[in-house]
Amino acid sequence: MTATAPSTRSRPRALTFGNVWLSVALVAILFIYPFVFGKAMNFGISTLLFAGFAMSWNILGGWAGQTSLGHAALLGIGAYSMTLLATPERLPPFLTSPLAPWWGALIGMVIAVAVAAVWGWLTFRLQGSYFALSSIAVALVIRLVVINSNWTGGAEGLFMPDLPKFFGFDLFDRETEYWLAFGFVVLTLVITHLIRRSRMGYALQAVREDEDGARALGIDPARMKLLAFMLSAALMALGGSLYALYLQAFEPHTILELPLSIQIALLAIIGGRTTIQGPLVGALVLSIFGEVFRNVFSNANLLIYGVLILLVTLFAPQGIMGLFNRAGSKLGTAR
Amino acid sequence: MDQVAVTAFFQTLVQGLLTGGLYALIGTGLSLIFGVMRVINFAHGDFLAIGMFITLLLFKTFNIDPYLSLLVAAPLGFGLGYFIQRFVLSRLGDRLSEGSMLATLGLGLIISNSLLLGFGAQPQSINVPYAINTFKFAGVQVSVSLLIAGLGTVLAISALNLVLYRTELGRAIRATAQNPLGAELQGVKTSNIQAIVFGVGVSFAAIAGVLLMPLLYTFPTVGENYVTKAFIVTVLGGLGNLPGAIAGGLVLGVIESLGAFYVSNNYRDAYGLIAFLLVLLLRPEGLFGKTVKRV
Amino acid sequence: MTAPTQFPELTPLPGQPVHAPSGPPILKAENITVRFGGVVAVGDISLAVRPGEILGLIGPNGAGKTTLFNALTGFVTPSGGRVTYNGRDITNMQPQARAKLGMARTFQVERPFEDLSVLENVLVAAFLKYRGTKAEDHAYAVLERVGLADRATQPAAQLNLARRRRLELAKVLALEPKVLFLDESIAGLNPPGQQEMVALIRTLAHSGLAIVMVEHIMHVIMSLSDHVICMAFGELLAEGDPHEVAAHPDVIRAYLGDDND
Repeated sequence: MTATAPSTRSRPRALTFGNVWLSVALVAILFIYPFVFGKAMNFGISTLLFAGFAMSWNILGGWAGQTSLGHAALLGIGAYSMTLLATPERLPPFLTSPLAPWWGALIGMVIAVAVAAVWGWLTFRLQGSYFALSSIAVALVIRLVVINSNWTGGAEGLFMPDLPKFFGFDLFDRETEYWLAFGFVVLTLVITHLIRRSRMGYALQAVREDEDGARALGIDPARMKLLAFMLSAALMALGGSLYALYLQAFEPHTILELPLSIQIALLAIIGGRTTIQGPLVGALVLSIFGEVFRNVFSNANLLIYGVLILLVTLFAPQGIMGLFNRAGSKLGTAR
Repeated sequence: MDQVAVTAFFQTLVQGLLTGGLYALIGTGLSLIFGVMRVINFAHGDFLAIGMFITLLLFKTFNIDPYLSLLVAAPLGFGLGYFIQRFVLSRLGDRLSEGSMLATLGLGLIISNSLLLGFGAQPQSINVPYAINTFKFAGVQVSVSLLIAGLGTVLAISALNLVLYRTELGRAIRATAQNPLGAELQGVKTSNIQAIVFGVGVSFAAIAGVLLMPLLYTFPTVGENYVTKAFIVTVLGGLGNLPGAIAGGLVLGVIESLGAFYVSNNYRDAYGLIAFLLVLLLRPEGLFGKTVKRV
Repeated sequence: MTAPTQFPELTPLPGQPVHAPSGPPILKAENITVRFGGVVAVGDISLAVRPGEILGLIGPNGAGKTTLFNALTGFVTPSGGRVTYNGRDITNMQPQARAKLGMARTFQVERPFEDLSVLENVLVAAFLKYRGTKAEDHAYAVLERVGLADRATQPAAQLNLARRRRLELAKVLALEPKVLFLDESIAGLNPPGQQEMVALIRTLAHSGLAIVMVEHIMHVIMSLSDHVICMAFGELLAEGDPHEVAAHPDVIRAYLGDDND
């Protein structure tokens, strides 16, 4: 039994990048946005950041099927590392260059990966809702440590210090921040497309559906889930450092809390966790909803999340993208 | 040993046990729901918040004594729970576990954000003179409202036990918990039983909310703190294990109280979380009981 | 009720058992015991299988066949005994590592990855030995071999039972195993489906695979196996040539029930 030469030219293919054109269209909209809505930059940046968070979450939550309700902690690691290390006094002199804050972002990613490795190694033996429960607990413990430590700024949180110009770009300029966040979203989207076509992507889907079935095919579920978690954590931390730039000042009560973790998870699930663009679509839809109803709901904006997740679990387990795909396949254009 | 130190120890212990009693009440509701339906109710803390806000509302508008609100909150909680299980959660069919987790998470968000719209974000409390009284018993200061809460817990849990083990309804509930299909074949209307159980669970959360109101401030997202407590309690006791939930509640109360007093008050919430993680990882069946099926 | 002395008529199936080449066994299990709490699910079973040989495992429901299977494939750690593969002790090796060595199994209740297409299901397995489009080519070739190529793009969830079974087989074949464990791949299929599956299994043995199969249907085992092991209540009841085992009074009693069964 050896590999056979490709049989027919027209045979079906499984190894594709998925629906690239849809992603290109979505990215195009995001690209045009600042030229059309140049005044509403804050909305644009936060939408992009949350889209990126949801995409990052989805590598673990969607592809590996592990519902984490503690991802805010990883985001926080990025935000804190960036901010703490952007302060010149905390850095060795040879690092105080325009690149300085980016060392913080990079270190944040490394720390997040290390934390995810230990976290996953400890809790991946738990299944389904039990994993979700444990992720809440781990994130809350991390939050308590941050609140009760001095070097993290305690319960008051941190201010982003003045940053050197980044090759001529002012990092506190909303336009610069928009393009950074845009880059973050594109990065997560590209990575997701690459996963879709990879051995890892198929292994993750197999693990998500049936761990024993995957094991029988030579896949190590613990290893795959850990890989997904570490990749997810690295991206969350990267996004977290951009979030810190955007917020300029933050405290543990905004950046490490359970509702933020829940919000990120729900964006992805409402959008469609088993699809490539689902988390992005979820973030766009919910941001727009939130903006439209801002005057009605003010700070009760998570009400929409509650209603939508309830509708999704009841009527559309594959999320918004799942509905699109179903409608699409009825029209005869399979995904 | 030093007399002062001994008194301080007992003071801390009693405080912990009384708080633990409330945790037990919250946890029992959650554990009952899990035991019968295998649903982890993420909205549990928000049902507790509903209990608190009912008390607040009745007190503020009609000046009704907080403990009398039990007469409203308990049946209202039951009805709400019954309705939710019957018309929402039961529709999830066999897509359990994750589906019900997300659905209850959504319900929780709907409740807490509706409270936010209705009552605003600022913390509110009620002022009942007798509730802030304390009395001394054998050198130990006991808060009256905490003691009432403890008594309320004992009553509620005893009543639940009576129903579960002395009545036909209880028999049907236990049968549904053990084997829904078998119970159905025996003529038990399991969908009705499940709705009743969810109602009882929610009712317990609402009762706990009422009992807490004279003690604490309330705010729309107060449930968040208590849903984590409820998870800790039930995991310590073993999910679905009712006596375990009671013991788990007491253990959590005591751990928090002793930890806060002897180690550090700042990490009060961490002790329970760490115990929770350890139990989840090392003894998923809980500290006490037999193995409960993992989801 | 008295135990009948004759075993029910065997339905003949075409072909003959593949006669195993002599030589060292590729997989050997010695004195495997599995206990769950106080219950002995498998007690002291030994077996060996050579390349090209088909070993049949039979026994009434609850005899411990699937548990033995799980112990051999690493899904259950045996409480006692030893499993060796090509002379290497693999008793405590994880299933995924065994798959890499060349051991593959199917499950009694077939479990395709339902969100994935038929081709993608096989692709997951093909990635064990191949990368990139090579893996895809390989997966498609295996589908052609088991006759599922025309269903390649269909979601696995939509397959009927017979095709699900073939998909299971395609997945394990894509692993290019040396030893194949088949857990009731034939039971439940209609007669033509059974014939096809039997023929396929026989071809596989001819190509040099060692096959261990659990099967409920006596005549399938009889017409395929070189060697048969019959278990009841976790213990070895009889072992040997298929027809000897079938005629063994204990086996007949176990299958057809005692007075108070």
